[in-house]
Amino acid sequence: MKKLLALMLACLMIVGLFAGSAMAESEKEDTIVIMAPPVTGNYLENLKTWAADFHELHPNLTVEIIETSWGDHNDKLSTMAQAGEAPDIAEISSNALGTYVEMGVAIDIAKYMDADRLADYDANALKYLSLEGTTYGLPLYLTIQSIGANKTMMTELGIDVAKIQQEGWTYEEFLETIKTGTKDGCYGFIFANSGVTASDMLYIFGAGVGLSNTFTDDLKYTFTSENMLTLLSAVEEMTQSGYMPNFGVEAGQRMVMCQTGNAMIFGKAMPLFEANFKKNNAALEANDGTAVENSLPMDYAFLPVPTMMGCAEACYGTVDGLIAMRNKGTTDEHLENVLLFMDYICSGDRIAACMNDLYLDPVCQSGRDALVLPEGRDADNLATAARCIAMVQAPPEGVTAEMTATAKKLMDEQIVPKFQLLLAGETTAQEVYDHICEAAYASFGAENCVSGKLG
Amino acid sequence: MATTGLYSQHLHNPKVKHLRNAVIAIVLTVLAAATLFPICYMILSAFGPNVSTAGNMRTLIPSRFTLESFVAFFNFSDYSLRWIFNSFVVAAGAVIGNVIFASMAGYAFAKIRFKGHTVLFGLILVAMMIPYQVTQVPLYILMVQKFSMSNTYAAMILPGLCTAYNIFLCKQFFSGLPTPLIESAKIEGCNQFQIFTKIILPLSKTVLAVMAINTFMSSWNDFFWPFLITKDPAMYTIQVGLKQFKFANETLFAPMMAGATISALPMFVMFFALQKYFMEGVTIGAVKG
Amino acid sequence: MNSTKERRQPVHRKLRFTNEDLWGYIFIAAAMIIFCVFTLYPVISAVYTSFFNYKPFGSEYVGLKNYVDTLKYSKFNLFYKAAFNTLVYTAVVVPLSLLLSFSIAVMILPFKKKTQSVFKAMYYLPGIASGVALSVVWLWLYDSSPEGIFNRLLGVFGISPQNWLSSTKTSMLSLIIMALLSSHGVRIITYIAALLGIDNSYFEAAELDGATFFQKVRYIVWPLVKPTTLFLLITGVIGSFQVFMNAYMMTGGGPDNSTTMIGLLIYNNAFVYGKYGLACAQAILLAIAIAIMSLFQFRVMGVDVEY
Repeated sequence: MKKLLALMLACLMIVGLFAGSAMAESEKEDTIVIMAPPVTGNYLENLKTWAADFHELHPNLTVEIIETSWGDHNDKLSTMAQAGEAPDIAEISSNALGTYVEMGVAIDIAKYMDADRLADYDANALKYLSLEGTTYGLPLYLTIQSIGANKTMMTELGIDVAKIQQEGWTYEEFLETIKTGTKDGCYGFIFANSGVTASDMLYIFGAGVGLSNTFTDDLKYTFTSENMLTLLSAVEEMTQSGYMPNFGVEAGQRMVMCQTGNAMIFGKAMPLFEANFKKNNAALEANDGTAVENSLPMDYAFLPVPTMMGCAEACYGTVDGLIAMRNKGTTDEHLENVLLFMDYICSGDRIAACMNDLYLDPVCQSGRDALVLPEGRDADNLATAARCIAMVQAPPEGVTAEMTATAKKLMDEQIVPKFQLLLAGETTAQEVYDHICEAAYASFGAENCVSGKLG
Repeated sequence: MATTGLYSQHLHNPKVKHLRNAVIAIVLTVLAAATLFPICYMILSAFGPNVSTAGNMRTLIPSRFTLESFVAFFNFSDYSLRWIFNSFVVAAGAVIGNVIFASMAGYAFAKIRFKGHTVLFGLILVAMMIPYQVTQVPLYILMVQKFSMSNTYAAMILPGLCTAYNIFLCKQFFSGLPTPLIESAKIEGCNQFQIFTKIILPLSKTVLAVMAINTFMSSWNDFFWPFLITKDPAMYTIQVGLKQFKFANETLFAPMMAGATISALPMFVMFFALQKYFMEGVTIGAVKG
Repeated sequence: MNSTKERRQPVHRKLRFTNEDLWGYIFIAAAMIIFCVFTLYPVISAVYTSFFNYKPFGSEYVGLKNYVDTLKYSKFNLFYKAAFNTLVYTAVVVPLSLLLSFSIAVMILPFKKKTQSVFKAMYYLPGIASGVALSVVWLWLYDSSPEGIFNRLLGVFGISPQNWLSSTKTSMLSLIIMALLSSHGVRIITYIAALLGIDNSYFEAAELDGATFFQKVRYIVWPLVKPTTLFLLITGVIGSFQVFMNAYMMTGGGPDNSTTMIGLLIYNNAFVYGKYGLACAQAILLAIAIAIMSLFQFRVMGVDVEY
């Protein structure tokens, strides 16, 4: 009798199992469209593999990939979004989020995915993809931007690179160092600051003077603070010191100038550049003509940005992530599928592979768990990068889309142009500062701007 | 031979003539050298080693000559050759459309006095004055939602099938043709269609060749619309494909230049194929009487 | 325009089509259909959108707000600065490039066919290189370091290195030089086509009057290529008013907005800030400005062209 019962139970279970799987199969077919640029050289190839793997896990879901090119991705995305034909998932930089939220095409993703899956991602990184407490996307990576150096040369000059990497440095120490590094035909420091890249210098050095974010925690505009004037004066001092070129440097040249021994420290720099230096060293050794012309073998050091006014050490960072977008065919059921795939490619092995290409740390627990570091990474640079990522200050909560939009426009149309003038030596720090204050008061009202020293 | 009369001054004095021509040739060569510099750099880089990012930008002559950048270009994607083919299809479509439709419309605006021709022509010109940045969105909606043509050749060709620019060019050229020629043909019983095909077109090889070349060139170099309307790398045009060589922190510089060099070849061939038509010029005076 | 004389018969005052009208419509039919669908419709749509705070799902009618916002004067409104920059750029580039193309086209003529085709090819070639490749090269030419190509060239004449694209003194000049030295192949070829259409009998007659070379250019060639000049002038002004790519690739509008053009503002509003309605309004204001300029050019240049 017992046997019979057990048999019946087993039969029931099997039937149940079949019924269960039959139910799963009856789930509606759905196609998820994702649009992404080549974030890394292999990213789009990897994406195809992941899409196929995902399809095997969820046979009713098919992924369609729209490949774009790096410089033009945003133009295409913007046009498609305006036309109401946005892809379901799109790659964006966190500072473009406000535009899409304002447009009404960004989707609150928390509604469509499991809370414990969302908890896998670092809160700090998620903040970059949130506005007024609503999260619109998942982070791919948090990129830290700072300065880098010819470690070989610095060591030869007796500069303690390891100490700088481990403990940071002050602006005065930095100035002393680039003075030591400046000699005939070699600048102590260069920064790619021509054209729109001038803003990089503001953001990166701004982190060292407490200007990591455009708004304070009580939502006041920070660029009108005394800290800004300190930053501008420092930049003025650097450009006039002779330790740094007083002409514009193209983005493509900064690393080349370092590799050819024409500059010791350069910016902006990312941890990833270690790969470029290693590749060049190998090319020099092989002597196959692919090395940078007239370049020298050298090691690369990723350095933290110097601090000013006794501010706490910090690092500038931005997040690139994937956001969910609304189009003509968007339904709740569809969005759940979309988030399933978005979560799949932003976490675990997938993101770990991507991070190894970028020399960055994953910003989700499952990614960190899956990460296997390849051989040969410079331990000091790794430690510095990890230290810097921890120092990145995410934007405060409660900033509205309108505020970010206004701040972006202010930055692009007023601050950066005047800053370019400062870099060209055609104005003074005080004049730029006065202009920034005037423009910011006109946009936000003086009561919403910080005056005096920050914090 | 037409126009040589402009330079008849020193024909009787070969010494002066040669000196004059030599001076002109030097001026032309210097100016040409300035314009040619960028393209020389492009071609030379293409034959250099396969470097990424414009690392060795300070020298014009590559450290060694090799075809590896071309190999890298073709290996970059399964569709590298297909991109050139796609560009060719799109550009050829645009050329055929413009040569037929723009020349007909241009003739009508220049020589047929139909009601409303000024207004319609004005409308065409005004439409040209709106910058493309704001017309892309409605055009995209039209193509994708109304016509469901995303990712097709048709979507890439149709918007450029008959451009305002070419209608204007043809109108300007045809208005220079003598009206009595057309009037006399009419008296002899030709209808407008016969006049157009039998009299006007044979006189218009020059402008048609110029139009064909310019249209081919601008279609071949067009980037944004094909980029917008294609989804699948198999449908990319060469310009869209070339942009794929740029990444966030790196540009595959030499393969990109190799691709740009290869993509310039068809246009060069096209130029030499068509240029005999505007070497000859048109001798309307003979019929003008 | 001038044809009303033939048609001013009271019978035709009502909407009745003559044979001539019908032929006209047949000839333009295909072109007009293509034009209406793919050019006119998007243009009308852009005009319509300019009255909205456009959003893909739920636009909001705002009347003339986009126009008012564009034109409202403030120290921080870039529209006027951009308009001024665009005007300066156009006023220098268009006439100079026309003159340059015309001179080159005339200078190519005295040579034998073979030599002519070599020169034509040389001037045509730069036009076929992809813009992506060329902008990289131009950035390199304008390298502001003492080793930059242009700076080394200046050094030959004893002039100190310039901060080309990064200084307000030279940024606009740099863009102008670039415009003048690239992409005149199309204009030269168009001019050559027009020049070859001039009949020799004109020159023979002038010869008998003892005209010099420059007199022939001034009194025969220039008037006879006027339709071409008008065409190149108007398309040149349109192109120059809409100029965007060079500023975008080379300077991004800087430094101190000294190279910010209207085309760049429209692009930023449409693609970067997501203010599509505002971009449409600015585009329409731009088109109105171009239309007025063109009308003026037609009046000045066009009178004796149509016959």
